[in-house]
Amino acid sequence: MSDCHDGCNGSRREFLSGTLKLAGGAVVTVIGGAALASSGGSDGAEASHPGGGEYDWNEHLWAYLVDTTKCIGCGSCVRACKAENEVPDGFFRTWIERYVVGMNDSHVDSPSGGMDGFPPVQVGFAATKSFFVPKICNHCRATPCTQVCPVGASYRTKDGAVLVDSDSCIGCGYCVQACPYGSRFIHPATHTASKCTWCYHRITKGLKPACVTVCPTQARQFGDLKKEGDPVRGTIEHERVQILQGHLLTEPQCYYTNLDKEVR
Amino acid sequence: MDHARHVFRIVLLVAIILAVVLLARGFLVPKSYGLYGRYRGASVAEQMNLRPPMHAGAAACADCHEDQAKKRTAGAHKNVSCEICHGPLGAHVKADGSVVKPPIDRSFTLCARCHRKIEGRPAKFPQVVLDQHVNGPVEGKVCLQCHDPHSPKP
Repeated sequence: MSDCHDGCNGSRREFLSGTLKLAGGAVVTVIGGAALASSGGSDGAEASHPGGGEYDWNEHLWAYLVDTTKCIGCGSCVRACKAENEVPDGFFRTWIERYVVGMNDSHVDSPSGGMDGFPPVQVGFAATKSFFVPKICNHCRATPCTQVCPVGASYRTKDGAVLVDSDSCIGCGYCVQACPYGSRFIHPATHTASKCTWCYHRITKGLKPACVTVCPTQARQFGDLKKEGDPVRGTIEHERVQILQGHLLTEPQCYYTNLDKEVR
Repeated sequence: MDHARHVFRIVLLVAIILAVVLLARGFLVPKSYGLYGRYRGASVAEQMNLRPPMHAGAAACADCHEDQAKKRTAGAHKNVSCEICHGPLGAHVKADGSVVKPPIDRSFTLCARCHRKIEGRPAKFPQVVLDQHVNGPVEGKVCLQCHDPHSPKP
């Protein structure tokens, strides 16, 4: 070591720079190869729309609309969602919150997600108004939950639904934490992320989500932004609609009318 | 040359690593990944066909239960879907055509879920203050003894 200072250092430098260049080249090759492989994966026929059936996701863009003044808090939607999607006990893909609001105080409750309706409630302040707010996944356009997924298991479809590929999900729970609306949970049996799909198995067959189908007061509505004359599209186009937590810039596709300042 | 041997070794090593990475990638990355975006493309069709729809809507119930359907659509419960009280049609008529008796809930809770006067309900929605009911306090009593759920009158 000590008897060849200059020469050894020189060759070591050359060796290191050569290695770095080689490594750089290898990285470029791997990335290029990966890009080639993924672009080569799409073979014409299946690429236009999934399933290849009558339903073409290019022709739809779904949106959800809630009128909070119409909700009676019966919980039919929560029960229907459970039955339709086999949602495990204690977890909810949709739920109802009750707000009891006074001038200086407010009280929010959602016993069992509102599944069995709501009991009378005693609040320790003078309540001046009270109302129910149905909640579901907002199916955001700039969705935080899919951005944090490390394995590409969570994604937004072309027709606007945010879905989870439970085969790819590793159950790390990042998306559960990333969602500002609390719409996701880890399924206790599969240990993968689970959430509202807008009943993707229904809407792609021309049906409405189960919660919308059973709502007795039409507080929940579901529509297609790409369809002329769609009532939900009409309301979003012409009326004053609100979204939850707009300051987070997630661009929710679940719109509300007559929302109160207390609702987050 | 000594230097050439060094270079050869490193090139070989990098080539082996590259080959292993590409091979592993071939096994680990799902076939349809990247078809529509950074996710497994086949997952979309899987979600579309995840399970048969359970809820069919009141019109489907009317196919067999015409009388009840007529009565219901003529009354105050015209917007109350059959499946709210009787459960989803998919649980009543199975995929193989077999019929299972749907739940007939005659409990106090069935009516109270919608019509008990509580904080939160819109004021114009018909609600019962249980203590002030015409026949005295009715908490826990079966509403259906007097009221017909298919065509209720106040």
